[in-house]
Amino acid sequence: MTTYKILLTNILLFILSVSLVFLVTNNSNSVEPDEILQDQKQEFRARNISKNIRCMVCQNESIDESSAPLAKDLRILIRSKIKEGKKDEEIYKFLTDRYGDFILLKPPFKLSTLALWVLPFLFLIIGVLIVLFHNKKSKKIHYL
Amino acid sequence: MKKKLLKFPLIFFLSILLVFFYLLMIDRNPSEIPSALLNKNIPKFEAESLFKDKNFISSKEFGNETTLVNFFATWCKPCLDEHVYIKRFSDEKMIKVIGINYKDNPKKAIQWLKKLGNPYSNVALDKNGRIAIDWGVYGVPETFVVNPEGIIKYRHAGPVTKKIYKKINLIIEDNK
Amino acid sequence: MAPTLGYLSLWLSLFFSILQFLISLKNKKLKLINISVHGLLISSLISFFLLMFSYIISDFSILNVFQNSHTTKPLIYKIAGVWGNHEGSMLLWILVLTIFNYFIFKLHNEKNSIFILKALETQALITMGFILFTIFTSNPFERIFPPQENGLGFNPILQDPALAIHPPLLYVGYVGFSAAFSIGIATLTSNEKVPWYNYMKPFVVTAWTFLTIGIALGAVWAYYELGWGGWWFWDPVENASFMPWLLGTALLHSLIVVEKKQSLQTWVLLLSILTFLLSVVGTFLVRSGILTSVHTFALDPSRGMYILAFTFLLATYSLILFGTKSKKYFNNNYFAFFSREGSILINNILIVVVCSTVFLGTIYPLLVETFTSNKISVGEPYYNSTAVLIMIPAILIMGVGPILSWNREEKSKTLKKIFPSVLLTSVMTLLAFSIYQTYSLVGVIGIILSFWIISNNLVLLLKKKAGHSGGMILAHLGIGLLILGITGSSVWQEEKIIRMAINSETKIKEYNIIFKEISEIKGPNYIALRGNFLVYDDSKNIVTKLKPENRFYPVKNNFTTEASIHTNLFRDLYIVLGEGNFKDGWVVKIYYNPLVVWIWIGALVIFLGGIVSTAKNLKKLKSSQ
Repeated sequence: MTTYKILLTNILLFILSVSLVFLVTNNSNSVEPDEILQDQKQEFRARNISKNIRCMVCQNESIDESSAPLAKDLRILIRSKIKEGKKDEEIYKFLTDRYGDFILLKPPFKLSTLALWVLPFLFLIIGVLIVLFHNKKSKKIHYL
Repeated sequence: MKKKLLKFPLIFFLSILLVFFYLLMIDRNPSEIPSALLNKNIPKFEAESLFKDKNFISSKEFGNETTLVNFFATWCKPCLDEHVYIKRFSDEKMIKVIGINYKDNPKKAIQWLKKLGNPYSNVALDKNGRIAIDWGVYGVPETFVVNPEGIIKYRHAGPVTKKIYKKINLIIEDNK
Repeated sequence: MAPTLGYLSLWLSLFFSILQFLISLKNKKLKLINISVHGLLISSLISFFLLMFSYIISDFSILNVFQNSHTTKPLIYKIAGVWGNHEGSMLLWILVLTIFNYFIFKLHNEKNSIFILKALETQALITMGFILFTIFTSNPFERIFPPQENGLGFNPILQDPALAIHPPLLYVGYVGFSAAFSIGIATLTSNEKVPWYNYMKPFVVTAWTFLTIGIALGAVWAYYELGWGGWWFWDPVENASFMPWLLGTALLHSLIVVEKKQSLQTWVLLLSILTFLLSVVGTFLVRSGILTSVHTFALDPSRGMYILAFTFLLATYSLILFGTKSKKYFNNNYFAFFSREGSILINNILIVVVCSTVFLGTIYPLLVETFTSNKISVGEPYYNSTAVLIMIPAILIMGVGPILSWNREEKSKTLKKIFPSVLLTSVMTLLAFSIYQTYSLVGVIGIILSFWIISNNLVLLLKKKAGHSGGMILAHLGIGLLILGITGSSVWQEEKIIRMAINSETKIKEYNIIFKEISEIKGPNYIALRGNFLVYDDSKNIVTKLKPENRFYPVKNNFTTEASIHTNLFRDLYIVLGEGNFKDGWVVKIYYNPLVVWIWIGALVIFLGGIVSTAKNLKKLKSSQ
């Protein structure tokens, strides 16, 4: 029980401290007018990337939606990289090199996420097979 | 075959609950994110220094000894709270501590350090937060342990508390 | 006084639930069962309303009230404050459990006595578990010494009418599935020959209906309150409500097959167990702090441990029963693919696959964290390319399913039957795209799916053939409208983010928007900056005035943005006011969100369909008793 309490206080303290840092204001908007690129194609790419990048300090929000200062910094950084002529993959790599896979809202396809990407479709195949198998068996019973 | 199939939901459900149980038991902070830079070389950077006229050049500052890197700002309340521990690293443990002043006013930072005491051997100014991004920092304060070879061995996000202070000391011991 | 009584009443509920459990276990003394069912209901009503009373009179000697309320809070939010936090919401949870307990008891008659007592036994066990949990880990009546002058307030972002009634509806949904669970367990344990599926169905329909509208209100809240035009985030907490909804949908439909053909009984029993288990697991995920989410209630590992232990108990008990006793309900009926039951079966499979995918996505970050040192995020892009993709064939089948007849249908006859709706869909789609000449693959697919559902159900409505339930047609129609709204708002959304000075003008689609003024206003518990925007159409007629606000709540030291929205059947105009000053102007975000209102209309139509269906099922049950 005491270990729980310590853990709990630590978590609360942590949340308190982090929130103090980041929640100073929460009413600024996500993407701001001064950030937007003139070139519409480039801006579109930037928005697309931003939607796939997680805001590290908020939960389950993309930097495109977030008003956190770090999200803004990253949006500006992404835009400057696009202007430099970097490809999307290079920008994603730049970000994951620093923040890890955690920053991607769409998990990359690799060994540790294999199950995540394969299982849904495997479930689908198994489901269809179960029905077919069931039907095949029951058909025999019908006609015997 | 069919009999086994009927037991499958049980096995499946219980194994999921087992994972939940494990996660509840271990001392874990759900909002903590492991650093992508662990066991990698520190990012190279150049920036203005808070104290010196010369620029802060990372390749000249690191190496030879275990170093702590502390991202801080005067506007950040938890940085104030952890300052006493950061000072203990440099004063009591004789560890080299490099500060990175995140999106701050240098004048305020100097005042702040004068008042609270300066644990930093040198402080780089990260005016627009680019250095922090290169270090994968997602909020101040954050503290890194860099070994003599210039490799990052540990990162703590959030203020250094008594518990973290002890933990960092152990890590420093291991990397001497 | 009130808190003491409330706490006492909670213990009384515990007593009655234990009594009910023990008595029904022994299958006798109906009179005592009667007393405990009513006692349970009344005592949980008392503790619930006493807490509500304490909130209304702002009794800050109660920790829970102190932490979540404030004297300046409007009355409706004082009341909603009862369930806006973990401890209080547990009281609501218990109350709903006992209400359903009461309705299970109402089914009792001489013929089904043993069966209903079995169901009451399980329901009492569940209720007992939650009351114990509340008393020992989350007591809402805990006192604070000395009593405080005023409360800490309530997160202003949660002060919203939609969110005020969202939890009660959601809980009726979650907890309603407990009744299906209890009836399922009773079916597995007793050897009585009773039409158990007829008992189960009204509960499932009710739970499903309320869960639907509860989830929809959560989305409404997100849309109006969070200020960027989104309404669904695939957040773990949302998933926690979406998963039981999906399984509940599967359960609902396969129950129809059981009713008609007596097949799929094992499957229905499994679904009835899993649906409620998923509701409980969802509660665990949300309230244990194991996942971080925007909506997380409170981080407390001891609570998590308790719910986990309870889930473990329920899961082991029910699934072992299922593993050993469900064989007798197994049958080998053949399913023709071109038949009503065939379409339901295939859709059941698809829905369960979607549910498993959502489950996988929700817990996968935890799995990765457990087995590697890494951490990953699973967000919207993942669900879009898996779960949403798998839903497409399900929606196609859902359109045609009700048109097919039971047993077997000839392929040629099927083609003939669906011809009118295929025609209607094509015409509508062509018409839609000739008016709105915007093409994107997702948009085309979404619109076709939506029109496919709508036209199939319109055809059903026109035919007025017997055997089609009005509730079903309504609910399906609602889904069609919902898809229309989802597609429109997510594919054709346009946004404009600019800095506007007073009296400046901007254009979005066919609208000219003038920023007229900005003024300071004072609300009941906040102060705000309010912008005044005039919206003109092409021919310079004024369409509306939009007044977005930036609010500051002094009690919680909190800022919120209040979007201002003008809605018509074709689009929403959505304005959010950002930061700024008179010199540089203000940051303004304007969204043109096509067809959003159809999401809400769709959800409402589904809800109505559910209500019609509930009424019909209850009537049927009554006449059979």
